[in-house]
Amino acid sequence: MESSAEQNIVNIEINDISLQVEPGQMLIEVADANGVAIPRFCYHKKLSTSANCRMCLVEVEKAPKMLPACATQVMNGMKVWTKSPKAIAAQKSVMEFLLINHPLDCPVCDQGGECDLQDIAMGYGGDQTRYQERRRIVKDKDYGALVSTEMSRCIHCTRCVRFGEEVGGIAEIGGTGRGDHMEIGTYVQKSLSSELSGNIIDLCPVGALLSKPFLYSARAWELQSYLSIAPHDAVGSNIKIQTRNGKIMRVVPADNEEVNESWISDRDRFSYLGANESRVTSPMVRNSSGNLVETNWQAALDTVIKSFTEIIATDGGSAVGAIASPSSSVEEFYLLQKFMRGLGSNNIDFRLQQQDFSAGAEQSAPKLELSLQEIETQNSIFIIGSDIQREQPLLSHRVRKATLAGAVVSTINPKTIEFNFAISTSVKTDKLTPALAGVAKELLSRGLGGDLNLEQLLTDGAVNIAVEAEHKEIADSLVNGENSMVLLGALAYRDQNQSRIYSLATAISKMSNSSLNIVTEGANALGGVLAGAVPYHSAGKVEVSECGVDVAEMISNPPKGVVLFGVEADKDLAGDDSAIDSLGSGFVVAITPFMDRLTYEHADVVLPLAGFGESSGTFVNAEGRWQSFSGAVKPLGEARPGWKILRVLGSSAELQGFELDSSEQVLNEVKALCDVTADKSEPEISNWSAPTDLGNIEAEMVKPIPLYEVDAVVRRSAPLQEQAKKLTGGVDDV
Amino acid sequence: MDKLIRLIKIWTLWELFQGLGVTGRNLFKKKFTLNYPEEKAPQSPRFRGLHALRRYENGEERCIGCKLCEAICPAMAITIEVAPRDEDSPESKGEVNGAGKSHNYGNRRTTKYDIDLFKCIFCGYCEEACPVEAIVETRIYEYHFEKRGENIMSKEDLLKIGDSEESQLATDLEVDGRFR
Ligand code: SF4
Ligand code: FES
Repeated sequence: MESSAEQNIVNIEINDISLQVEPGQMLIEVADANGVAIPRFCYHKKLSTSANCRMCLVEVEKAPKMLPACATQVMNGMKVWTKSPKAIAAQKSVMEFLLINHPLDCPVCDQGGECDLQDIAMGYGGDQTRYQERRRIVKDKDYGALVSTEMSRCIHCTRCVRFGEEVGGIAEIGGTGRGDHMEIGTYVQKSLSSELSGNIIDLCPVGALLSKPFLYSARAWELQSYLSIAPHDAVGSNIKIQTRNGKIMRVVPADNEEVNESWISDRDRFSYLGANESRVTSPMVRNSSGNLVETNWQAALDTVIKSFTEIIATDGGSAVGAIASPSSSVEEFYLLQKFMRGLGSNNIDFRLQQQDFSAGAEQSAPKLELSLQEIETQNSIFIIGSDIQREQPLLSHRVRKATLAGAVVSTINPKTIEFNFAISTSVKTDKLTPALAGVAKELLSRGLGGDLNLEQLLTDGAVNIAVEAEHKEIADSLVNGENSMVLLGALAYRDQNQSRIYSLATAISKMSNSSLNIVTEGANALGGVLAGAVPYHSAGKVEVSECGVDVAEMISNPPKGVVLFGVEADKDLAGDDSAIDSLGSGFVVAITPFMDRLTYEHADVVLPLAGFGESSGTFVNAEGRWQSFSGAVKPLGEARPGWKILRVLGSSAELQGFELDSSEQVLNEVKALCDVTADKSEPEISNWSAPTDLGNIEAEMVKPIPLYEVDAVVRRSAPLQEQAKKLTGGVDDV
Repeated sequence: MDKLIRLIKIWTLWELFQGLGVTGRNLFKKKFTLNYPEEKAPQSPRFRGLHALRRYENGEERCIGCKLCEAICPAMAITIEVAPRDEDSPESKGEVNGAGKSHNYGNRRTTKYDIDLFKCIFCGYCEEACPVEAIVETRIYEYHFEKRGENIMSKEDLLKIGDSEESQLATDLEVDGRFR
């Protein structure tokens, strides 16, 4: 064993095969990496080791007893047998113990067919029971609208408990009692409140915790899986959409260590339940008596083209505009802007919740400078205006992991926002700008200003900026942290003072040598900018000769013809109802999967758009990662994928460059324009200049959008809404 | 020599008499032709005829929608849809048996149970897979279809057959039970 001198290699033997492995690993990890199957229930690669199920017992040379592989570290010269008669005997007796109290109700249990206990019992279980006594029965718990419980099935592996503590961040579930009287449940009888709670369904190795909406609706073996990307936040979680008979039955996570690890948020998991509510299933045109009537695609498209050409002929291209959902795919953004620009209009926008557009083209694309994985390694994190835990649950999980590793987090947020990780300094305020300016001023006073020219603004300026003790602490932590990051969230993005806030945050990150990370809204805001769905530039940031108008301008001064693409105008757009209604004054083409109020009352043509899981596309997540997905089911009724609708619109308007046959072709065209290497867009260096004023420094921060109100699909998912009601309703039904 | 024997056989009509011998023997044997439909062949308790869905004594259907029969059917003749059923619903008859019973979520029951008799090859695997002896094959083998679509037996049809055949089915299962 010469190599053992090198400290970082350990020689072990598993089942007489010698392996060289890194020290510090557990036996089970080594076995997994080398394709040796060891049965297990409590071990999970993403959770801490509890070693309480004992299913993974293996024989180790010179050890007097069998050792649990999940809690035994590899040691030099170790000889392990996982299938020796002794090991098998031990595993079999553990199995017998586990099966004593587990009900034999596999036929009615939804886990049947994908159950660890069932599978392992096939290998290690006896075919007869020696147990004559009564089995224990445990009362079911109410975990809320998303997770169903059948607690007699629980084998006390404590995966769910550990998940709650380690990942969910709230110790809601725990074991009470001991031995035969142990019960897993919520300590206080209430619904689970974690926004990641659905993951315990996947974690539970038996059928004790199941998906409530999916209950009894399909068997694991009947489902077809399609890889896809979750469309509700900028993380771009990898999901599997599972279908049966062309219907989406459920959504489960797909592992991707770099993005969502093994988890998805409840929003991503249960949103599919809203995908078919109040759908538009055929094209509609408003007739002379003002009613929407169903028609065929050709007629509907002709109406659009005819009206648009009329408008353009009389008022010019700039009389039309388009508003897209920030969760549209890259392909859709690209074709939509191509269509609008082909018509001679640069009025296109997707930044629905933004109020302040004064930064204009200077604002760079909303992007994380770090990768999601790198967030875990930060020592100091400064969160500005973000309910990150609810906005981007899995990004927040990375922040939480950083805090567990010792990072300090500081925030500037409204009072109401609380997080599941420790915060060292929090400025609770309703006004973002002064607090941020305070931090910037503090950094400036430490002589870090460099050539940023901020003195004029912060010290000699008209407004007197107070530097509070907390601002100093934040500055301290940012400057002292070896790796520090500034994170701007949706509240900063939606603020009336957005451009000033972004400038200040950029300045702060420059002065403190931190990375600047921005997340905004929707699943594909970055993709929207890259694909050119903004008034200032077309795809690949090619500047346009004449800037178009932004979404706020389009609402206050509605264009004569407007395309609403995937937007549920009365809920998605910032602004009050009457302002939004004024959008309906012109000729409105609603390309939408859902019927909503504005569409119903004002749209002149409604084109049914494919909904969740129904079309292929690409999202660029906050890191700049381009992730493509394909459709899992056929679009409902007459609905068509967005890129097809736009392509046909483009060619019926006799525009150039719409001869595209597949979404890949569209994607390749965008990628070629955007200079994408290895499916990753690199952060861009924006030209930064000091703002000349601080805008309306007294501007109040906007309210965060509730967790389950973020987009049209989520709003229509009944179980999510029920869960939201349970969590906010105050009174929990016990 | 062979040639001579052959000649003798031919001229004495030896093979003809040999054949007639078989005819003669069988002419006086006991006949086993049945006068179907007046007479019917005896059936084993394991006879695999038309399917039926059984109920418990209290009238509750046995089938719990586990879909094992659907999975095992080699001809893919079975189609099942399952949904939770409220315990208080009119279909939940009397005391529920406990299978799939859950206070929180109702019973696991089928909403659709179709067998396509054109596809079915009467192998009896569904019966063997069933954990609650719900789907069984009866002794019925006389049936016909007049219209397209009648070949699909719905859950109601199957339950009806089960109701009328229950006593026979119970005895057959009882007899066969010893060998399971
Ligand atoms: S409920 Fe499931 S995950 Fe939780 S302890 Fe029991 S078996 Fe393990
Ligand atoms: S997996 Fe090792 S003890 Fe449970």
